[in-house]
Amino acid sequence: MCFRNLPIEFDAQGGVTLRGGGADPFGYKTKAIDRDEVKRRLAKDDYVKAVDYDPVTRVAGALGFHSVVDLENRKVLEASSIATLFRGYEVILKGRDPRDAIFISSRACGVCGGVHATCSALAIEMAFGICPPPLAIVIRNLALSMEFIWDNSMHLFMLAGPDYSEAMIKKTEPTLWDKATRTETRWGSIHGYSKMSDLFHDMNPLVGKLYLDGLELSRMAREGYVTLMSKYPHPETIVPGGVSHTVTIQSFNVYLNRLMKTFDFAKRAIAIWNDIADFFYDANEKYKECGTRPVNMADLGIWDDPKAYDATYKNCDAWGEQRWATPGVILDGKLVTTKLQQINLGLEEFIEHSYYEQWTGQPHKTDPLGAPLSPYHPWNKETKPKPGGTNWREKYSWSTAPRWDRVAVEAGTYARPWITVLAGKLPHRKFLDLTPDSMKILIPKYLAPEVEVEWKIPPVFNAFERNRARAYSIAYQCVVAYDNWLIGMDILKTGDYRTSTPFTVPKDNRMGVGFWGAGRGWLSHHLELDKGAIVNYQIVTPSTFNAGPKDPWGNPGPYEEAVMATPILEEFESKEKFKGIDILRAIRSFDPCMPCTTHIYAGDQHITCEVNTCACGEDD
Amino acid sequence: MPAEKTIESTRSPAAPDPDASGLPTELDAPRPPRLLVGGVGYRLLRDLSFGPLLADRLAKDKWPDGVEIEDLSYGPIGVMHNLDSRPPYDRIVFVGAVKRGRPPGDVLRYSWRRQLPDEEEIQARVAEAVTGVISLDNLLIIATYFEKLPQDVVVIEVEPADEDWGEEFSREVEEAVPRVIEEIRLSIAGWLPS
Repeated sequence: MCFRNLPIEFDAQGGVTLRGGGADPFGYKTKAIDRDEVKRRLAKDDYVKAVDYDPVTRVAGALGFHSVVDLENRKVLEASSIATLFRGYEVILKGRDPRDAIFISSRACGVCGGVHATCSALAIEMAFGICPPPLAIVIRNLALSMEFIWDNSMHLFMLAGPDYSEAMIKKTEPTLWDKATRTETRWGSIHGYSKMSDLFHDMNPLVGKLYLDGLELSRMAREGYVTLMSKYPHPETIVPGGVSHTVTIQSFNVYLNRLMKTFDFAKRAIAIWNDIADFFYDANEKYKECGTRPVNMADLGIWDDPKAYDATYKNCDAWGEQRWATPGVILDGKLVTTKLQQINLGLEEFIEHSYYEQWTGQPHKTDPLGAPLSPYHPWNKETKPKPGGTNWREKYSWSTAPRWDRVAVEAGTYARPWITVLAGKLPHRKFLDLTPDSMKILIPKYLAPEVEVEWKIPPVFNAFERNRARAYSIAYQCVVAYDNWLIGMDILKTGDYRTSTPFTVPKDNRMGVGFWGAGRGWLSHHLELDKGAIVNYQIVTPSTFNAGPKDPWGNPGPYEEAVMATPILEEFESKEKFKGIDILRAIRSFDPCMPCTTHIYAGDQHITCEVNTCACGEDD
Repeated sequence: MPAEKTIESTRSPAAPDPDASGLPTELDAPRPPRLLVGGVGYRLLRDLSFGPLLADRLAKDKWPDGVEIEDLSYGPIGVMHNLDSRPPYDRIVFVGAVKRGRPPGDVLRYSWRRQLPDEEEIQARVAEAVTGVISLDNLLIIATYFEKLPQDVVVIEVEPADEDWGEEFSREVEEAVPRVIEEIRLSIAGWLPS
C-alpha cells in the first residue's frame, strides 16, 4: 500500500484505481489552529516569551520565524515559519513561450540557477517528446554535481558553520566552550585539528580558515561548472534536449582538474562534521533532540543514467530507479515507494495558511497514464496570490504547504543517501556500495590518499545528523561526478560529440514534469502547454516543503515541527539576553533557501525591492 | 574591524628585484597599466541589467590598450575570485543600476572610499552573495574586505525605472546611456598615462 491517506490504490500488477469515489474523493475537513493556551501563557508567565526572527540571517532569501518559548522549562510552545516574499515565477511564466521557462525559472534561486534551468528543461523535453543525447545527460550530471558540491559546502562552512564557531559558542554556551578547550578530536588525523576549540576557532565567520576554505571551494566548483556550462549562476546554455554548446576532451580534463580538488575537501568535511556532532552529543545528550522530527522525507532522485533516461512520463519509474540517487519517499523511517509516478501522484499543495486564494476546478482528473490526480496536485493548481495581514491562526506565509500523502515530508540532500540505502537498487557501484543501513563511498586520492567512508542511517534524526549527512553528501556528489566523467570520456572516445537534440515547439496540448533536485533536495517543475505557450507552470522547491506553514489539519511544516521538538540548551543570564541559538541551529540545519530575487509580485502591482544600504560617498 | 579599513595593496607593482644572476628579467619590465570596466547586475531585468547590457555594447567599441570590458553578471564571490587570479588592475570602473529612490535615469559617478560596515553586516553581505544575490554594493564591500580591489575604484550608477523581465531599457535609462559612456570615457582618460 503506497498511500495511507490519499484515495489512490495500486495493485500488484501496477494497475491503479480511485478508492471510494463519490463527488469529492480528495475532499477534506480543515482543523483550526488553537492558540488559546499559548496566548494565556504569554499573558500570564513572565518567562514565556515571543521570539521572532525576521529575517533569519545566513539563509538564502527571505525567511522569518515566529516562536513562543518557555524559558523556565526550556521548551518551544509555538513555531510558525514565514516565507516573507512571494515567488512570482509561476505567474510570470504563464502565457510565455516554453523555451523562456528555462531562463526565467533559473532565476527562482541565486544558488540553484542551474538546477532550476535543468529541471525546466526536463519538463519541457517531456512535453516536447525529445530526449537528449547521452553526452548531454552526462554533462548535466557533471555540471550539477559541481553545483551541489558548492551548495552543500557553502552551507556547512559559511551559513550553518558559524553556529558552531568559537565566536558563537562563547556567546551562547560558554561552558561548552570550556569543554572544547579540553576535548581532543577523534578525526584529527584527517582534518588536522587536535582540539575541538581549534576546530571551532577556524569555523569563525569571515576570518576562520574553514570559512575561507569554503569560500575558496566555491572557486573550484564554479570553474568546474563554467568549463562545461559557460556561466554560473544562471547558465544560458541549458536547452530542451541537452546543452547548447560543445565540449571537448580538453574541457573534460579542465573539469577533472577542478573536481579532483574537491575530493580532499570532502574527506575533511566529513571528519569535521563527525567531530562536531560527536562533541555536542558527548557534552549533552539533549542535543540529540535539536531539530528532531519523524523521519519523513521525499526526493525525486538525481543524476540520470545516459543509457536509461528517455524523458517520457510513461517510463519514469524505470529511468528514475536507474539514477545515481534513487527517487523515493520515507514515512516514519520506512521506504514506501521508489516509483516516480507514485511520488508524483502523492504530491499536493495546500494554502489554508498561505497568502493565496484557493483555486477551483480540476482540469486534470488523471495523470498522463490515467492514474487519479488530486485537485491539489501541481498540474491542477493555479497560483492566485492574495497579500494580507499576518495571523498565526490563519494566513502567515507566502509558501504553500506541500504534503506527500498528506504528511509533512522534508527535503534535503541527506534524503538521497537515506532513500538510496533503504531502496537498495543503486545500479552504479564503481565508487558507491550499499549495506542494509549504510552507503560506502570510495573517495579517490588527490593529495590525500584514497579513502572509503561510510555514512550510516543515524539512530536519531536531528540538526546534527542533517549536517553530518550533508558532509557525506559532498563525497557522494564527488564520486558520482567522477563516475560520470569516466562515462563521458568513453562517449567522447566513440566520437559521439552530440550535445543536443533538434526540436520544434508543439502546438497541441502537452504535459510535462521535471523530476529533479537541488543541492537542498527535491525540485519539481510541472507544466502544461497549449498552442505553443505555457498554460500552467508550477515549481515545488525543497524549501517549499521545509519552510511551508501548517496544513489544513493544523499539522506543522518541517521547520515548525523541528523547532517545536528542540530543547532550549542555550546558557543565558536573563530572558533579554536569550539568543535562540538552538532554534536557529534547528532551522539552519535544513539549509533554508527562500526565493532569491528582488522582484516581488503582489496581485496586479509590483511592490517593493530590497535596497542595500549604500556605503559609498558621492564625489566628482 | 575598524569602520574604515586601510587596504595595503598586495598587487601594486613593486620595484623589480634582479634575479640571482643580476641580469634583467621579464619581471623587471614595467607592467603595462590595466583598467577594467565591469558591468554589474542581473541579466533579463531591463534597467536592472544596465551593467551587463552596457558591457555588451561597450565591448563592440574600440578602447585604448590596457582597457578591458567585462560582463560581471556572475556574483561578487565569482568576481572576487577572478580578480584574484588575474594580473592586477590599476583602476576598476564598476557600472550598474542601483535603486536608491533618485529620479529614474539619474547618473552618479563616485570614487569608492572603501568604507566598510561592521563585521556582522559584512558577513550578511557574504551570505547574500554566496546564496546568489548579485549586487553592486555587496561586490564593493566584499571585494574590499577581502582586499581584492585596487586602490583606485570608480563607480558609475544609474537609477533604474523599469525592472520587469526583458532586455530593453526604459526610456529614462536609455537616455542616460550616452552620459554613462561619457563618464566611463572620462574615467579612462583621467587614468591613461599622458
